[in-house]
Order: sequence, then C-alpha cells, then structure tokens
Amino acid sequence: MPFRASAAFTVIAALISTLLALSGCSNESEPVQNKIVVLTFNMPHYKDGFSRWVAEFHKLHPDIEVEQIDRKGSNWGAFYHTQVISGTAPDIIDTQGGAWLQYASQGGLLDLTPFLEKDAEFTANFYPELLQSWIYEGQNYGIPLYFTKTLLFYNKLMFQEAGITSPPNSFDQLMEYAYKMTKGEKSGFMTLNFDWLYWSLFAMNGIDLVTPDLRHAAFNTPKAIALIERLAKATKDGAISNISWTGRWVEPNSMFAAGQIGMLQAHSTALLWMLSNTSWINENTIGFAQMPGNWSTPNAHALHISADSKYPQAAWDFIKIATSGEGAYSLGISLNNLTGDRFVNEKILDYFSQTKPIVVPLLRTQQEHLNTLVGNWPLANDAEIKEALYPELQSALLNHKSAADALSRAEKKVNHILSRDDRTAQSQSSVSGGQ
Amino acid sequence: MRRHSLWATHLLLSTTCLVMLVPFYWLLKTSLTGENLFSYPPALLPDNPHIFYYVDAWYSIPFVRYLLNSVVVSAIVIVANIIFNAMAGYALTMDFKGKRVVILLLLSCMMVPYQATVVPAYLLTKELGLLNSHLGMALPLMSTIVCIFMFKASFAAVPRSLIDSARIDGVPEWQIIFRIMLPLSQSAIATNVVLAFTWSWNSFLWPLIILRDDNMQTLPLGLANFLSVVEDTSGALYAFCIMVLIPGLVIFLLAQKQFIQGLTTGATKG
Amino acid sequence: MTVKFGIGNKRLRESTLIWFLLFPSLAVFLLYRILPLAWNGVLSLQFWSMYKPPRFAGLYHYKELFLYDDVFRQSLWNTLLFMVGSPIGIALGLMIALLVNRPIFGRNIYRTIIFMSFPVMTVATGVIWLWLFSEKTGLINYFLMYIGLIDHSQPFLEDFNLALPSIVLVSIWQVVGLYMIIILTGLQNIPPSIYQAAKIDGANSWQQFWLITFPLLRPSIFLCLIIGIINSFNAFDLVYVMTGGGPGHATELLITYIYKTAFTLARFDYAAAITVINFSLFLALTWLVNRMSGGNAGAVETN
Repeated sequence: MPFRASAAFTVIAALISTLLALSGCSNESEPVQNKIVVLTFNMPHYKDGFSRWVAEFHKLHPDIEVEQIDRKGSNWGAFYHTQVISGTAPDIIDTQGGAWLQYASQGGLLDLTPFLEKDAEFTANFYPELLQSWIYEGQNYGIPLYFTKTLLFYNKLMFQEAGITSPPNSFDQLMEYAYKMTKGEKSGFMTLNFDWLYWSLFAMNGIDLVTPDLRHAAFNTPKAIALIERLAKATKDGAISNISWTGRWVEPNSMFAAGQIGMLQAHSTALLWMLSNTSWINENTIGFAQMPGNWSTPNAHALHISADSKYPQAAWDFIKIATSGEGAYSLGISLNNLTGDRFVNEKILDYFSQTKPIVVPLLRTQQEHLNTLVGNWPLANDAEIKEALYPELQSALLNHKSAADALSRAEKKVNHILSRDDRTAQSQSSVSGGQ
Repeated sequence: MRRHSLWATHLLLSTTCLVMLVPFYWLLKTSLTGENLFSYPPALLPDNPHIFYYVDAWYSIPFVRYLLNSVVVSAIVIVANIIFNAMAGYALTMDFKGKRVVILLLLSCMMVPYQATVVPAYLLTKELGLLNSHLGMALPLMSTIVCIFMFKASFAAVPRSLIDSARIDGVPEWQIIFRIMLPLSQSAIATNVVLAFTWSWNSFLWPLIILRDDNMQTLPLGLANFLSVVEDTSGALYAFCIMVLIPGLVIFLLAQKQFIQGLTTGATKG
Repeated sequence: MTVKFGIGNKRLRESTLIWFLLFPSLAVFLLYRILPLAWNGVLSLQFWSMYKPPRFAGLYHYKELFLYDDVFRQSLWNTLLFMVGSPIGIALGLMIALLVNRPIFGRNIYRTIIFMSFPVMTVATGVIWLWLFSEKTGLINYFLMYIGLIDHSQPFLEDFNLALPSIVLVSIWQVVGLYMIIILTGLQNIPPSIYQAAKIDGANSWQQFWLITFPLLRPSIFLCLIIGIINSFNAFDLVYVMTGGGPGHATELLITYIYKTAFTLARFDYAAAITVINFSLFLALTWLVNRMSGGNAGAVETN
C-alpha cells in the first residue's frame, strides 16, 4: 500500500542517515597524539600556577602538550564519568576525599607503587601516613596534592564568657562545654558533616565503621546507640546546632563566623573562608586545637593516573612537579593549604609566618597526629556506604527516628552493600597495570 | 467592563505580581549589596548599593565571548525550533495512519529523564563529530515537543475555508505552512521563540559535558566557573543570576505584543 | 481540522509529505531521547563498570530497587507527591492567563512580571529561595513572625515534613509563568467572534468561560498537565541547590536519585534501571491523561 511504502521509506532513510552518521564519518579532529589531559577539581584561580607546572613539564617532555580542564566539585563527576565512558579518560585526575576508591577498585586508575618505588627520593618527601591514605588492596593509587583535616575551632570570647579556659580534652568535656556556652541563639558545638568529617566524634567513643577485614558493618553497638542518643538530645537542647547535621559548607561556617557557635569542627579551609567574610576573627578571638583524642578526618586532594593513559611516564613526571618542590609550594601558598610534601610545608609555614601569621598555628594542627586519621577506610563502595549510613544517622540525630532503629537499618544497608560483589568481582578479573 | 470586576482583576494581578516579585527584589538587592546573606534581620532597603559584583563578573571572565557563544547557540536553536516544530505541528493537523502512535511517541519522548540522556547523547554527538561545537550544543534542543503541540493547536484553529481555497488554487503545501498558517500563528511563534531561547540559554549540564575549550564556554558555564572558589556565597552569585536572566526577559518583552488577542487574528479568523 | 484526500497518487504524495514534515523533529528525538532511552533500557539489564565491558544481569537491579532500596521507594513517593502540586499551578496559571488577557490597563506589565520567574535559571531560583526559607536569616520566617503567624523560626528546608512542600511551592512559583504563556497562546486560538455571538445569545462571563473558553483551551491545558507530570525534572536543580535531597532523603526525587547514582556513584547500570522505571511511570500517567482528554493530545474539533 502506498502509505506504508512511503512511511517505511522515510523511516528507513532516517535510520540509514542516522546510522551513517553514527558509524563514524566524523570529521572531529582526533585528539592530538602527543597530549596529556589533566582534569582538576575546582581550581579556576590557579591558572598561572598551572602554566608554571606545564613549563616545568616541558623541560622534560617538550613534545607533549598539556590540556587542563577544570571542573567545579558538583560537576566534576558528570564530566569525568562521561569521559571515561567515551573512552577518553583524562590522563591525570584530581580527586577529593574518597571518590578515588570507586575508580581504583574498578581498575580505572594506574597502580603507582612501582613508580613510587623507583623514585624513592621523591617518595621520601611525603608523610608516610598520608601516603597510605591512597592504598587500596595493597597498591598505592594516588599522590597527595594538598590536604586538610578536621580540627576544633573555638570562639575564645564565648569561652571566656562561659568560664572555660582551655579546649576540651575528652568527649564528655566537649559536651559539657557545649552546654555551658549555649544561650539563646548561640550553640556550643557544631560540626561539618560531609565526607565523614564528623566521624571523630564516633572514633573518640570507640566506634568503628567496619570490622578490620572490611567485610561487615561494626557500628551498630550499644555504645553507638548511646552516643547518638546523647548527640540527638544535645541537638534538641540546642547545645549542638542542628545545622551540624543538615548544613553543607556555607551555613555552618557562616554561623561560626557570625559568632553564634562556641566550637566548630571543620577542616582548615574553613578559616580562610571565614577570614575573607568577617573582620573580627584574629588570634585573640579564635583558637585552634585538635579534637579530643586527636582524631581527625582528612579531606585531601590527590592526583591519579588513568589506567589506560597513553603516557604514564609523562603523567608521572607531571605529578611529581605538581606535588613536590617548587610546584607544590606555589600551590600551597596560593590555596593556603598544606601539601603532602613535608619540606615544602615548612617553607609554606615560613611564608605565612611573615604574611598571614594567624594561619600558622592552624596549619601546624594539620601536620600533627597523622596517625589518628579516621574516616578514610579503603572501601571500594565508600561513596555508597556514606550515602547509606549518613541519612539514617541524620534522621536519628534530628530526633526524627530512634537511634536504635536508624542504626539497625543502616547496618542492614551497609552490610548489603559490602556483600554485593557485582562490581568488585569484575575488578578482580581485570588486569590493571601500566603500559 | 464593570468597575468592581476591574478592581478585583487589578487587585488579584497586583497581589500575584507582588508574590512573584519578592524573590526578584531580593535577588537584585543582594547583587547590589551582598548584605543579609549571613546577618539578621533582613533589611528591606539596600544599604550602600554598588555595582562591584557586576564589574567583577564582567572582568573576571571573557564575558563577551561567552555571551556570544550563548547567543550563537540560542540563535541556532530558535531558528531550528520554529522550522522543525511548525513542520511537525502542521503534519499533526492532518489525518494519517499512525498519527496516534506518533502523538504518543512525542509525548513519551518528554517523559525521558533528561539527565539520563546526557551520556548516550555525548557518545552520539561524538560520532557525529560535533563535540565542542556550537552545533553540537544546539542539536539536542533543536525541536521541542511542547512547541510542536502548540503549533498543532494554532494551525488547527485556522479556518478551514482559507486552507481549502488555497489548495484549490493549487498552492503547494509548504507554502501553505509558511505563507498562510505561520502568519496566523504569531502567538505560537512568539511562545516558541521565548521557550526555545530560555531552554537553550539556561542549558547547563549539556554544555558542561561536551565543551572542553575555554573559549567555547557559554555564559552560565563561564560564570559558574568564576564563582566556584567563593563557593557561591557572595553577592557575586546573585549578580551572576541577574546577568544571565536579563536577555531572556528582553526577548520576552519583545515578544509581548504577540500575546494580545484580536490584534492580528481578529480580522481573519472568522 | 482534518484533511482527507482521495485515493491514489494524492494519497502517496500526502503521506510522503507528512513523514517528510515530521522527519527533522523525529530525527532529533530519535537521537537524543529514544536512543538514549534504549541505551538505558539495555544497560538496566547489565552489570557495568564504566571501565569494562558489561555483563548480563537480568532483573538484578530491578529486584534491588524494589526489594532493598528504601531510598528508591522514598524517591518514588516524593515524586508522586510532587506531581500533586501541579494542578494547583495549572489552576493558577489559567486564572492569571485569563486575567491578563483582558483589555485592562497595564496588562503588558503584569504579564511580564508574572512571567519573569520562568527564564530564571533554576539554579538561581534555588539559590534565592534557599535564602528566603533560611531558618536563621531568611525573609519568610521574618515575615511570618512579623505578622504573628508563627512564634519562632521554622527550619523549612531542614524539617522532614516541611522540606518537600517548600520545594513544591518554589516549583509552582517557577512554572506558573510557563503555564501562563501556554494558556495565553491557546487563548489566541479562540476567535473573538464566538464570544460576541455568545454575548448576543445572553451568556454571562461564567457561562462563556465554561462553555467556550475552557473546552477550547483543552489542548493547552492538556499540555500543562503533561508538563505537570514531568515537572520534577525541572525541579532537579531546585532540590540540588536547596536541600541536596535531604533531610534524610525527604526531598529526594527520582531524577535526583538518578543523577547521584550515575554521576556521584558512577553506577550507570543502576541509574538506568531507575530511569526506566521513572519513564514508565510518567508514560503510564501520560497515557491516562491522554485518554481522559479524548486521545488526541487534547485536540479540539472545531466546526
């Protein structure tokens, strides 16, 4: 019948032309052969510094071009995953926190252990404990670019008003001080909650996330229930601000900056933000201390090499430039952060002692107690576990659910995730290795 | 129009306008002063307004280039939309086998979650060789189903007598579309322009994924990158919002007159 | 309006013409909606790490979603609740469109102001309303306490019960401009002569509305209903900026869950399964609405 024929014809023509287009008569210029792509995480203001890295790099590899792509945190995942799927993963990626685990566990990242062993002199620059943060199943996948970890900021004025003379040295004291400083709109204590930053509170109460073999949830204990009930009550009483559990970055820091919080657990970047937004913050009004027990959660950035990078050696050379020596120094002073390189850090502290002295005691806390880092378990499904656990905790802490109920549900979910082997099984069957 | 009904109309509309405007007023005010982001109580009048945030945004990024990129992409999208949607809308006014299927197909295309399409869309666009290009950015937006249906409804309202007499006179179909029906569907065209512009101008996720070059960035993207270090907390963010918003409003203002009933259609629509 | 021709060459020419007219649009949708949907459909039946080839998984992900994943169930429920707000928005849009369509002074201004919410980037809308709803510094709490409606600040976006309604409110604020513009376009299609004839016959405004305007607006209202179904897609940025899906997934929608699963957790296979379910749900609702409007996308037979 004529209708069917013409309709069919048009549809087939459409499909053929689409297929032709899809079958790769693409005139897109193939990626320039000698190029490495570096995907950075939220450093748009470091363009000059990056060019200096590239200049250094070209001394070693004058024929390899460097392309930088910078993406904001919330967009980084979308961009990176799309690149991976389309087969054009960036040679070097800059990740934050534990995101690298899911990539490493699936074989997406290059094992850097051989490189570290070969370049022993370079490796010796780093704090050994920090370097361990990027070990998964015995292999090292990342080199620290810059790092921060949590500490306790405290408002000295509020301390004085409440008659407190020094920062708390135990969890009970922390709670006691929190209650003492709570008055009206002001709360005694607040913490950031993303990326496991709150976990020091659990660690100082002897609660672990998982069993040592990383196979089962270990946080559903009577101690944990008691802790959460205590924290929930304090939240209800206003001693702990409820923004601790619902805020992300801006709200908690701005409340502290507005003088409404007695003690804030945050990582060191918070100070820079607060300094630029207030005028009253200085050495006399704000103090820094480790959390009781010296527990802290790191929030670090690291550089990794893609498993299928065509220029792993060149990428490694670039990483060395960015993470140690002069390259790291210029990054550190630009971001007001410490790097992974011990010697560079001393130089950075020297620099700040002359230009911004208030930062020095802050940064010193970042260097100390790297052996009591928590919140950095090498779990392949770290991100999923976080997503499974935190909302339950949040519900309990906001008194929306009982602690026992929340923990038992979270335990079930986490165990389910840990036992699910649909992807880790795949990673074991892959051959990951350099070229 | 009776007086109290006029009064009531104005009252209702004014109240609605007020509700709609409050956020804008605040957006504008904060972009000019950066105050009240962290302090309380909120001040009703701006204190020391300045245009520093706008200036900052203008100079911190290659503003004009990004603006041009956005303009080019939106222009492609608008033109393609009008042509493709009018064609499809016209086809849908005719009766043909499979029409029901096509309609359901179009409706179901609207149901596909957009974010779930960007990765396969990227792969397709890569095959087409259109990554990192204006055309590549415009392609997914070149036709919109909402506008197809609006054209369909507008064309359906054109009196049959006009079409029949044109057919009898032997006018070819495409001329019927472009010489008779489109001119009588000003309102649908105007809406199409406004919607296509808005959706392409504000498009964020797609350009983010397919653009790599710095000089191809569109305005929302470029400004977002500029703001990333301040973590979206200063008056600069608000200035950004206003700057991205203004062209859309201008387009709507220009398209305004097409929404006045009776002016162009009264004489010809029986 | 239907056009029927006779048999033979004319029919062939007409069918070719029709498909030719439909081709460009259909091509765009094929490339950017249908093929991606198929990609997701196939992927939802596989295990896939983005670094490796996929393996067949059958209904594993669907079982996971329905049997284990309470976040999915919460998102589904939230999405359904979210849709409940759309009739309100459409009713408002209809009312406003009718009002600004009258020959009153200043209607251009009214129209522009009310429409202004639509071209704002959703991210920007989220940012400003995030501040407006803020418990400590926001205008809404300030205002409500000022007029005495509440006695202390409400944490709108941090409250398990208030967060989703707050987002729905903002979504309505944002989309009412779109509804208005669609209905205004639809109003243009009604010839004024019909009203004149009705007036002569003695019909009052109310009757004119119910017997003329409303039926003839059916295509526009149908379109608005469809937009209402998928409106949670537009709310993506709102949720992302204002609550991040919280507190505790109280504002998690299917679309935000899809995004997080794909772009934060890199679980594209799982996200694909959620996509398929989201699509199917909306499709079923659309089919329902289409049925209820006469099956032709609400088209009106004029004579």
